[in-house]
Amino acid sequence: MNHRYANPYVMGVLLGLVMLFSFYTMGRGVGSSASFARIATAGVNLVAPGHVANNKYLSKYTRGGKSPLMAWLVFLSLGAGLGGLFSAFIANRIEGEVARGPSIGVSARLWLALGGGILSGFAARLARGCTSGQALTGASELAFGSWIFMFSIFAGAYATAYFFRKEWL
Amino acid sequence: MGPLYKLGWFDFAYSLQVAGLIGFLSGFVFERAGFGNVRKLTAIFYLRDFSVLKVMFTSIVVCMLGLLYFSVFGWIDLGRVYLLPTYIWPQIVGGLVLGIGFVMGGYCPTTSIVATVSGKLDGLIFIIGMMLGSVIFAELFPFLEGFYSAGNMGAIRVSDVLKLNSGIVALLICLMAVGAYWFVERVEDKFGDKAALPGGSRRIKWSAATFLILLGLILAIVNPDHIIAKRPSPRIQPQKKVEQVQKPAVKSEEPASSGFKIVDDEGC
Repeated sequence: MNHRYANPYVMGVLLGLVMLFSFYTMGRGVGSSASFARIATAGVNLVAPGHVANNKYLSKYTRGGKSPLMAWLVFLSLGAGLGGLFSAFIANRIEGEVARGPSIGVSARLWLALGGGILSGFAARLARGCTSGQALTGASELAFGSWIFMFSIFAGAYATAYFFRKEWL
Repeated sequence: MGPLYKLGWFDFAYSLQVAGLIGFLSGFVFERAGFGNVRKLTAIFYLRDFSVLKVMFTSIVVCMLGLLYFSVFGWIDLGRVYLLPTYIWPQIVGGLVLGIGFVMGGYCPTTSIVATVSGKLDGLIFIIGMMLGSVIFAELFPFLEGFYSAGNMGAIRVSDVLKLNSGIVALLICLMAVGAYWFVERVEDKFGDKAALPGGSRRIKWSAATFLILLGLILAIVNPDHIIAKRPSPRIQPQKKVEQVQKPAVKSEEPASSGFKIVDDEGC
């Protein structure tokens, strides 16, 4: 597998220009966690539409009788998948595997991935955004809460990194 | 003058295509930077590889400078840009929990997409987890509702909190970014794997850092808030104070956009 990656500063400049383009055209920044909430809402809606309508939070995604999937961020996430796929393809980095450190088994890694995903999904809804939509976007428009949020992410991760070292090192 | 969508240059359907393009570009950049590789992402928490911080800070600084310069040149109306509101307590707790989720699961929401398309099963499981987490949040929402809106400070900027003009704040952030780059590279020298880390000449790095600080310095002298406040705005009523001009992202919505409301709009 090809592990040679681009220079992070150059990539940072490019990502910053993409975000600027987003602000200039749309008046808003990038983001992705809401698209997962919307896809989940669409799933629940399929099984139990009444439940979505009665849920105070989920019902905001179906307001006005629209499909929860007809949203800007859902299309952004689809694009991100295609862009990542294209980049991984030309760099020959597509490989089916469970990515993990050398000292952890597959099933333990997958359970931790599930747990981390649940925490992240929950936290992103609570904080009204994730690393992209809240931290990157908000910080570049100098939103106060977004800066606090970003430092909190690093604080939470560094404070608990010790307990997960066997998963990665 | 931007933002184009808010000024009615194109409709909702076209905006979804723009979203696809923006997503494609950002996904591409993320994968190039190595953000589909979970061990590279989490290496930051073990002081071995700070690519995550470098990409994040650089993109923030570039976009921030771009927005401020664009507004000084009159190319973008920051009053129509959606400014994320501050709810300080849920953001602190959400940030801490997201950080734990990051180091536990190895990804953040966008990077898990990139990992999944590169064939990583754990990335897909992380995405399923996020969907479950969102639904759990929604199910618990009646209990969390009070906390969800706790510490509401409105659409407030760092410059409002520090009582400085945004140009000076921009300069401080540029200085902080350069300081952070310098510091994490020293840490990488100590703990990182030199062969795996990207190189780059010292001279180019220092020239770029100088250029960055210079851009911030110009903004600090120019004082963008003052210029924006003085400029007669065609649609927003004149004689509004700076703080108000920055806030009406919500209010100035109605005349500009074609039926699209920002009410249920969230950053992420």
